[in-house]
Amino acid sequence: MTLSRPQVHNEGRAKRPTFMRTFKNLPIALFFLLPTVVILGTFNFYPALYSLYLSFFEWNGVSPKRPFVGLDNYQRLFSSSEFWNSLQVTVIYAAAMTVAALALGMIVAVLLNQDIRGRALYRALYFLPVITPTVAAGVVWKYLFDPSQGVINRFLAGSGITGPSWLTDPSWALVAIVIVGVWKRVGFNMVVYLAALQGVPRIYYEAAQLDGASPWQRFRFVTLPLLAPSTFFLTVTALIDAFQVFDLVYVMTQGGPLKSTDVIGYYLYRYGFRYYELGFASAIAYVMFALIFVVTLIQFRLSRGGAQGEN
Amino acid sequence: MRKYTPTFLAVILFSVFSLSLAQKLTFWHYWDGANGQVLQNLIDQYQEENPGITIEAVFVPGSELVSKLQTAIAGRQTPTMAISDLVAMPFLTSSGALVALDDYISESNVDMSDYFAGPLVYGLRDGKRYSLPVSASNLALFWNKAIFAEAGLDPDTPPETWEELVEMAQIIKEKTGKWGYELFTQGGEGTSWQWQVFLWNKGGDVLSGDLSSPAFNSEAGFEALQFWVDLIDEYEVSTVAPWGLFGRGEAAMVMDGSWMTQFFPMQVNFELGSAVFPYPEGGEIATNMGGEQIFIFNTDPETQQAAWNFIEWFSSTPVQVEWDRGTGFIPIKESVANDSTYIAWVKNARPLLLPFVESMPYANPRPPVTKYPQISDTLANYIVEALYGRMSPQEALNTAAQEAAPLLR
Amino acid sequence: MKTNPLRSVLTHLLLLTGAFISAMPFLWMVTTSLKPAGVLYQAPLLIPTYFEWSNYVEAWKAAPFPRFFLNSAIMTIGITLGQTLFSAMAGYAFARLRFPGRDVLFFLILGTMMIPFPVTLIPSFLIIADLGWLDTYQALIVPRVVSAFAIFLFRQFFLSIPQELEEAALIDGANRVVIFARIILPLSTPVMAASAIFSFLFAWNDFLWPLIVTNSTEMRPIQVGLAFFQGQYGIFWTLLMAATVLATIPAILAFLVAQQRFIEGITSSGLKG
Repeated sequence: MTLSRPQVHNEGRAKRPTFMRTFKNLPIALFFLLPTVVILGTFNFYPALYSLYLSFFEWNGVSPKRPFVGLDNYQRLFSSSEFWNSLQVTVIYAAAMTVAALALGMIVAVLLNQDIRGRALYRALYFLPVITPTVAAGVVWKYLFDPSQGVINRFLAGSGITGPSWLTDPSWALVAIVIVGVWKRVGFNMVVYLAALQGVPRIYYEAAQLDGASPWQRFRFVTLPLLAPSTFFLTVTALIDAFQVFDLVYVMTQGGPLKSTDVIGYYLYRYGFRYYELGFASAIAYVMFALIFVVTLIQFRLSRGGAQGEN
Repeated sequence: MRKYTPTFLAVILFSVFSLSLAQKLTFWHYWDGANGQVLQNLIDQYQEENPGITIEAVFVPGSELVSKLQTAIAGRQTPTMAISDLVAMPFLTSSGALVALDDYISESNVDMSDYFAGPLVYGLRDGKRYSLPVSASNLALFWNKAIFAEAGLDPDTPPETWEELVEMAQIIKEKTGKWGYELFTQGGEGTSWQWQVFLWNKGGDVLSGDLSSPAFNSEAGFEALQFWVDLIDEYEVSTVAPWGLFGRGEAAMVMDGSWMTQFFPMQVNFELGSAVFPYPEGGEIATNMGGEQIFIFNTDPETQQAAWNFIEWFSSTPVQVEWDRGTGFIPIKESVANDSTYIAWVKNARPLLLPFVESMPYANPRPPVTKYPQISDTLANYIVEALYGRMSPQEALNTAAQEAAPLLR
Repeated sequence: MKTNPLRSVLTHLLLLTGAFISAMPFLWMVTTSLKPAGVLYQAPLLIPTYFEWSNYVEAWKAAPFPRFFLNSAIMTIGITLGQTLFSAMAGYAFARLRFPGRDVLFFLILGTMMIPFPVTLIPSFLIIADLGWLDTYQALIVPRVVSAFAIFLFRQFFLSIPQELEEAALIDGANRVVIFARIILPLSTPVMAASAIFSFLFAWNDFLWPLIVTNSTEMRPIQVGLAFFQGQYGIFWTLLMAATVLATIPAILAFLVAQQRFIEGITSSGLKG
């Protein structure tokens, strides 16, 4: 094994296999994929297609009347200012939450991958938000964000800053939701990064140290590239989750004030489950799907198949 | 599906077999905690009186009951009977899966004229009745006696009119620095159904009499919304804040539901009183109303009849008295509200509930239309726009009406 | 290398601040669970000064919790085992095998994560009803033994394992299944632990699906039990928090067990060098 530099192996890039060679792999691939294909096909693909079909109907989910409306639901969606507002709110949330949680998760993971005292306890504490049920978390954050009683504004007041009325101020409510979203995501990112850091061969660091690399250089040129597949994974999944965020908004702001936190997930919930417009909600779901899918594809393109870090 | 035929056969055989011996009815509800226990006790009593009938009461979390019923109806896996929040009734009757109760009612001892008019507007479709009210709740005023005393007001005299409410609230704000009245400013149903009381107080209504168009953008509506705006901007006795100021002792008065006569005493550390909600001088007493309705799903005539027998029993005055005493729900029938043991119980055990019981004749239903939730949210959104000073009350309500109108067609 | 003491203090200070913010809501949960209902709205909010242990007793008695725990345990173990094994297999195929339609299939699988679950509720329920699986453990477990998320996680991990390890074995004539079981899986403990903890949390916290496909109280998992305290008419905060703390303990234990695997790597990952 020659390991002159960090390298991530991406099968299929180096040598282009012939069709015959790939075909030969089919039986064994089938073996590995059979449970996945059967289960996802039955319990995910079929329901997803059914809901696509529903998006062309007007249906409340129970009525025997289910008129076909063609593309009306989509047309209505694109001409609704509510939808464009939700889209904007969601994109801001997704971008801010993903980037912040990624950076913090990586910092925490790198710090906790060192040989420091209390490492195990720290890890458990940083993971607690992932475990803490959203209802409890939402309620306590509501207290923390309380304009007069809340810890956050009291702390700010101590530093001479008058804090905003977070959850009732249309220009701050989304910031508050992002903060809680990041809070809940950091531990999750930390775990994935920690698992990946275990895979970094020590020899790389030893080599880098022999070359006289500073800690920052070791991080920048050894750790960061090796974490690239994980970063890619976490970015893709964080965006997928963030585009669908619902429960935090449901517990903390119900989309308000003045629709400033009316993310698409909540918008969809309102139409699907409060207004009983299943056809329209399915159309929302598919527009969301298309959007996330395109974003994901772009990410794959940019990172060449999700195996970033090839030099 | 061939493979599953034996299972289906077994199910059918089992059903036939069990029918011949005894009848088992399933009943989905969202009555949690003590309320669920009261229901179970009543069911036990019914089963004892009616050997051969088993009723399995299944608790479904309230927030998901409608989703659960929705999937059950779509998959034809419905229970024998269920309850639901009355607002969901127009949606549920649209399924065609419910049994029309008119024939059962006419052949029974159920006296429809004994019911309060409010809850009866739900469960109707094409001239037929598909559900019966089984419980009610409504809104009234709570006040914090400690803050009243601190402000030098008589802790036992709540305001009777809007004008008195403002007057007292201003004294409270001035003397204690606490908020006089807590408004529900976060939109959604909370804002909408509280505001509707103020609208009715002024003599207005949510929709036109035939439910075909919005009516809240009337003079009464403008004045009611102006009053809310004034409470914040003009009198400075209310604020835009997350709900809960009253519970934490930071606001002296609030409008809240009859169920809070159970929760507040458990959760707050001050003495509180309740009163019929104040109305404007020259206006009307009013309150809004919640509660549950019970209904039967289409099955076979025997099962439907058995379910009806239980509902008839459950709706009878003596059982309802027991039910309301156990749960703190507001009576749905006059004979229960006037029942001497019931009144004695309220006066002795739950005096906070008395104003709610007294308010029941003035309880208006929210419009029983399928699109109510969306109309309500729209209305609430624009109320909030006005509270944030982004629109005048007129502009807000007119815009809301414009958006709501197409939903009624 | 020696660590600079100042740097070490700063690191700890930073980590402590973050840890405190992370843990705060959980602390609040515990503190609230120990309060008498009457002081719910009173400070202190974070450090318990009341110790109303009877909340736990009362919460425990409010619903058939032993049964709920058992159901959650069965469901969670089934889902976690299934997701870990099947996702590792699928992830391996996507990372290492070239076969026709690979990328299309992979994107289709990723796509399933992008459809909001609630809109597929009715068709999913119809399948379960047609299979006659309502109110069974199959309904709780089988539809969820495969996770697109975990497949993706494993794929990314396998992409970062040097291929040379397998090539030697392939030349020696070992087939892919043997390589997967003998070489890849043993190398994958950290990622398996990470994936398992996520599967565990997903299954343990799942609420809507179990509620929709079960009709009897005997088949309900713990999360549905928690809903007993979030009534239509008000929330019994102290009891809800007591029950939530109880329901969270297994998840914390699961994390502590899984975390052993993350730590282990740092000292014993010589193989990968």
